[in-house]
Amino acid sequence: MTTNSSYNAAHFERSLSTSVVDHTTSKFLSEDGRKDQNGNEASSKECVTDQSGQEQSVKEISCQLRNGHAENGVNFSEKIAALKVESNGLSTVSEEERREKKKGGLMGKPPLPKTKQNAGAGKQSWLLRLFESKMFDMSIAISYLFNSKEPGVQTYLGNRLFSFPEEEVDFYLPQLLNMYIHMHDVAEAIHPYIVYRCRQSVEFSLQTAWILSAFSADVLKPNWKNSQGIKLKNMILNEELRPKIDKKAGNLPSPTQPSAFYPLLATTPSKKTHCRSKSDATGIYTKMAHSQTTGNLQKSNTGDLSSGRAFDSGCICVQSSEGIVNDLTGKETVCHCGAPRLKPEVEFVNALMNIGTRLQQLPTKELRTSRLIAELAMLNLNLPARVWLPFDTNSHHHIVRIPHTQAIVLNSKEKAPYLLYVEVLEVENVYSSHVPSKRLDNTLRFTKSEEDLTTCYVRSNGSPHPEFSIYGGTEFDDAECWSQEDDEILQFAVKTRAVDTLSQFSVDSTTSADSKEPVYIAAGDIRKRLSEHFTAPKSNFERDPDDPSAAALKEPWEEKVKRIRDASPYGQLPNWKLLSVIIKCGDDLRQELLVYQVLKILKSIWTQEHVPLWIEPYHILVTSNMSGMIEPVDNTVSIHQIKKHSKKSLKEYFIQEFGDVNSEGFLTAQRNFVQSCAGYCLVCYLMQVKDRHNGNILLDSAGHIIHIDFGFILSTSPGKNLGFENSPFKLTHEFAEVMGGLESDMFEYFKILILQGLVASRKHMDKIIPIVEIMQTGSGLPCFGNGVNTIRQLKERFHLNLTEEQLQLYVDQLVESSLNSLTTSLYDKFQYFTNGIL
Amino acid sequence: MNQEVGSDMKRTHGHAVLLRKSSSSKMALKEKIVQIYEAFFQGEDPSVGNPNFWDELFLLKPNIPYIEGEFDKVSGEGLMMLKDNLNTLFYKAVESVKEDNTIKVVNAINTMSALVRGIFRKNFGDFGFDIINILIGFDAAETVMQELVENLNQILNGEHPTALKQHVLKFIMVLATASDNISQNTLLEYLMINSLFESIVQILGNVNLRLMLGTDAVQVLTLLVQYRKYESANPYIVKLSILDDELALTGYAQVVLGALSDFNREYLCRSTEAQAGWFSTLANMVGNMFVPDEKQVSAVRANDLVLLALYEAIHLNRNFITALTHTHTPSTPTTPPSSPTVPVSNPLNDPAPALQKLNQALLEQSSHPTNLLVTFLEYSSIVMQDTKDETRHSNAKLCLVILTCIAEDQYANSLMHDVNINFRVTLHRMPMRHRKVKVEKDTPSRPLVCALLDLVVEFTMSHMMKSFPLELYNRCLGITQRVLCYQKKCRVRLQYPWKELWTALINLLKYLLSNESNLLKKHNNIFHLSSKIVNIFNLFITYGDTFLPNPNSYDELYYEIIRMHQVFDNLYSMALRYTTNDGESKESAARLTNHLVNIKLVLHHVQSLTNHLVNIKAIINHFSPKVDSWAAANQLSSLTEEQVLDVVRANYDSLTLKLQDSLDQYERYSEKPRENAFFTNLVRSVVMDVRKSVSNLSQSHHQVLQSVAEM
Repeated sequence: MTTNSSYNAAHFERSLSTSVVDHTTSKFLSEDGRKDQNGNEASSKECVTDQSGQEQSVKEISCQLRNGHAENGVNFSEKIAALKVESNGLSTVSEEERREKKKGGLMGKPPLPKTKQNAGAGKQSWLLRLFESKMFDMSIAISYLFNSKEPGVQTYLGNRLFSFPEEEVDFYLPQLLNMYIHMHDVAEAIHPYIVYRCRQSVEFSLQTAWILSAFSADVLKPNWKNSQGIKLKNMILNEELRPKIDKKAGNLPSPTQPSAFYPLLATTPSKKTHCRSKSDATGIYTKMAHSQTTGNLQKSNTGDLSSGRAFDSGCICVQSSEGIVNDLTGKETVCHCGAPRLKPEVEFVNALMNIGTRLQQLPTKELRTSRLIAELAMLNLNLPARVWLPFDTNSHHHIVRIPHTQAIVLNSKEKAPYLLYVEVLEVENVYSSHVPSKRLDNTLRFTKSEEDLTTCYVRSNGSPHPEFSIYGGTEFDDAECWSQEDDEILQFAVKTRAVDTLSQFSVDSTTSADSKEPVYIAAGDIRKRLSEHFTAPKSNFERDPDDPSAAALKEPWEEKVKRIRDASPYGQLPNWKLLSVIIKCGDDLRQELLVYQVLKILKSIWTQEHVPLWIEPYHILVTSNMSGMIEPVDNTVSIHQIKKHSKKSLKEYFIQEFGDVNSEGFLTAQRNFVQSCAGYCLVCYLMQVKDRHNGNILLDSAGHIIHIDFGFILSTSPGKNLGFENSPFKLTHEFAEVMGGLESDMFEYFKILILQGLVASRKHMDKIIPIVEIMQTGSGLPCFGNGVNTIRQLKERFHLNLTEEQLQLYVDQLVESSLNSLTTSLYDKFQYFTNGIL
Repeated sequence: MNQEVGSDMKRTHGHAVLLRKSSSSKMALKEKIVQIYEAFFQGEDPSVGNPNFWDELFLLKPNIPYIEGEFDKVSGEGLMMLKDNLNTLFYKAVESVKEDNTIKVVNAINTMSALVRGIFRKNFGDFGFDIINILIGFDAAETVMQELVENLNQILNGEHPTALKQHVLKFIMVLATASDNISQNTLLEYLMINSLFESIVQILGNVNLRLMLGTDAVQVLTLLVQYRKYESANPYIVKLSILDDELALTGYAQVVLGALSDFNREYLCRSTEAQAGWFSTLANMVGNMFVPDEKQVSAVRANDLVLLALYEAIHLNRNFITALTHTHTPSTPTTPPSSPTVPVSNPLNDPAPALQKLNQALLEQSSHPTNLLVTFLEYSSIVMQDTKDETRHSNAKLCLVILTCIAEDQYANSLMHDVNINFRVTLHRMPMRHRKVKVEKDTPSRPLVCALLDLVVEFTMSHMMKSFPLELYNRCLGITQRVLCYQKKCRVRLQYPWKELWTALINLLKYLLSNESNLLKKHNNIFHLSSKIVNIFNLFITYGDTFLPNPNSYDELYYEIIRMHQVFDNLYSMALRYTTNDGESKESAARLTNHLVNIKLVLHHVQSLTNHLVNIKAIINHFSPKVDSWAAANQLSSLTEEQVLDVVRANYDSLTLKLQDSLDQYERYSEKPRENAFFTNLVRSVVMDVRKSVSNLSQSHHQVLQSVAEM
């Protein structure tokens, strides 16, 4: 199995490295297919072939670069310089030229090399100037990567990736990988970069593998052109891309014989050359006053949840004496024991997804909830471990515990998404920091009574003789050793409950016993206190077994963190942190991911243009085409839940939460509402977000609305695209009421914001379009159901042809039609009757 | 195979003496091994002149009954004569345990267990050191036993066949149950010095091992914990109490859970069978008349050790509470279908849908996560159904003791009250004359404490009988009080139909009153019990605002008290009779109780009872006339509940209550002085049971060899 896959990988890499040469021959075999997909591919290749003088050098430099970067991207500038020299010969693409080429290609006539070169030289220097200008960023890079069919340009861009900050590249990873999957030539160009990053970072490897598996799901018939994505994914998951440890400068191969060396990289003998057996390892485990099942009977248990070590890669480097020395001296410990790098995290994510799958089979929410808690308790046995929540922003942590009783099943009929809180400890380096040892849930164990016992025991253990202490060397008093520190427990318990509004009835009966005087109390007072407790206004929703998420989500995040921290055995640690995540299983999150990217771009555009529109892009992690994770937005409840539990209109709820209409709290919240509403109206309009019922619109504790669930965007909508919701965006009179009514200043402000937002977005349209356009390639996503029209219509919605005045009129019209849309209220009614959503 | 080895041995190194003997004898052919034993017991040393003797001896299958029989034949002094021989044999056996050859190991273990059992059969005057002297020899005992334990640990921890490990655990059980009184078993002293604890914990923490060995491991641990638990620092107690390996604790809980749910399932199967139709019910009844259902008793008894294990874990280890509520995801149906009565309720129905229903229930159940506490509550509900029999009484008592420990633990309480931790608990109810068994198909998922309270209510309602289990009632009330105290302190408002509890308690009072004289003959403490009941009412009355689920329930409490005021009136007057009346009555009470010492106690209880009743009296005196006058004013002869509640609500303000002393104080459960006798007896019977179960080691012997052969 392993040998086979490594063979595949080697074969694959070889094919990539030699493919430049192969083009001339393979071209003819594949001409038709290529044309289908890339239009002018074949002809552009021919240009290169024609420039026979330069072909060799291009090939050489590209190989050189590839090797160099597979090693390290340090001496990048040198190579760019080399490329510059070389690039004289590159022919580049421009609009007319492309068309021309296409024609030529279709007619089968090789274009004239002479004119090409002349035209090319002019264009190319222009292009190169762009590439070297300050303007050049990832957004331009990917769009040229996508549009250019010129191997030279592609290779250049592939190499330029090394010069961008990693986060910037990571943002466009879905686009890069989608091109990798569906465009063989781009794959060639960016392969070195991706392999290099994979070797460097576990995180990147995982992201890449997940995205690859998600987007290559649509590749129905793998053939040599589009199987590279799957191959790369397998390579990553088979842990073939490890950092090379024994790398020395002198070992670099000479660039003259690249193909001989290159395949070797793929088959780096990474596996099991130096893997200590587990039983050896156990001797090294530093057990710190913590009884633990020693694992000398346990084989590799990775993935077996009942073993308690499901997320343990078996790596012993960190625990080894070397690791401890490094830890003390502040050096980073690099794992060299050959333990799997990705496996623990992959297993962890799989475990979470499996829970979701199992929950789906249960009919009721009650069953799902209890099952979820049970499954998580099981999972908990395997924590702490060297695993993390794989969101790019905050992955420097180890998960230590899942407060399983806090997990909630979210509202969904068929699928069973669930929300999970995760206690983590932030660490400097996820891979080399120590994973904390297990602490039991019952924090109260760590009080005096235990210390007593331990010392008591240690003392008795000290003397090895039979007469030692068995007969009472130490007074072994049941009552004392076992007495529970009741006060502490109760303090703890009382502390963890929210403080009642009840006036504290503190007359404890013990105190009354002391005073001897009989204490009298009025029955009326007791009854009054009881009823006061119930009439007191509640900030939280009541717990409802059919909608467990409402009460859980209404609880302010800060309070929740405090509550969980107090109850957690790890809560005392300074680097403790609570994270949350929604696990979605059975849902395709690829569209969500696309919208996330668009929202991110929009947000940065608006910030850049100083337009105070507010949107909240929340992180999406796609782990396959059927599963993924969503980062929940803190302190939010859906408008549906608000209306259901508070039984108030939105405006009344605003008044309840933020204060009177003229109070500062209300006005701030109102402004937030307007700004976010405008932001999302624009998003909904541009991206044609549908399925906008109140369950999909959240309200946060500052008054912002946040749209979630982008399952229906662009050319797809619920109900078989019948067009239930034909208004541009969801704007109900209830929303307008919160803004202060249709005639109010805030409503005017709302319209101005939309206009400003649209103008700003229009200005930066070319940052948005490529993101969407690239994802359409080879995609089976429902949002691209209309084919090319999808993108054309998206472009049209930016109304490049309108003047600002015209645009203003247009916005007014949009708002007007949305407000008066019959279908919006119809759709809300429909949702109410079918799903009970208010 | 053994015989082959034996004959092989004969051929190559044939022992001259033995051969001659057997050939000259006219008796039937003797096993080789028996001849060797004979030599041993005649004080000869068969190893003389045969350097390979010990290497080969344990290749032969030991004849356990023969060894044990020989011990019976020898007198006490005779044994002393054999001391050297036995010491050598035992020592050689210990040495062989570390051999690689599994056959030898098993044979050596069997030989040792035969020796141990044989020697303990001799009734030495003092269970002292004679046994150790004869068996191992005083001088060597420490080192030999240390080596033995080391070797056993090696097998338990190492890569050995599971069957062999099991054999070792059985052998330890033989050691632990050698004498009737476990604390007098001096052999165990060496197991205290050389600990097996870590090996046991390791087995419990390992899923694969636990499946096969878990039960034995838990049993061994529980037995070892019992050794001199009241006199000394038993290291197993200490270690068990600080054990914080979550996996091992969870494993421990799983083992107990497995045993209890097996019992529950068996019970259910039996009761479903029994209720299959009226005819078979009748037949069963007739059958049961003549044959007391031994099967059920034995089933209950078999769980003594498991219950004891649960008790020790909960009593000793506070981390175990986590394991207790650690949810267990059922991969296979571990609990039976929830409704045993489905077939009965519709006897006319086609059997097919009923079966289908049953299957569905099974399916549903199997998808329901469960945990040890859930299973234990169900188990308790079965055990408590019948407490007449002494063993079952003690079983029920142990259940209630465990529940007391749980109710006393604040962490357990916080878990039981957690609204996020909901479970369906099936509580079995005894069919009684005046009520039908409720069909509880859809018990909702609720916090665990609800099930606990249900259990208490159920017990209260179903045990007002001639053989009044006063002690069990006391424990039930203790549990209720503990739970209420927790709710009061932590301000937990549990959604629970408290009315059921009040009704049950008032009914109990009623029963006590009507059987006053009868009960006083047997128990002198019904005052104490009544005062506990009243105490619980006082908790509700004075602290209701902190834990009642809504204001209406407070009104309902008053309503119930007013409605049943006669019971309280009678209770009050009974109490008065014993305190204020002339000395005669006091003395009659004393005579009734026949315990002079207890008079004071009784009087004390009576007094506190009257004190406790003050508030209830006040409520009754306050509201009764108001209710009456309201009725008169409205010209109604009887009032509806709603009307009474209105009156109650209108008249709170003028009522003053007295704050009672230490309503929320209870004596902590402690095993040491009070329950010693109970546990000593329990352990004794457990030891006997275990001894019986491990009496036939040769059976597992066969299994071990088989599994070794398979390897």
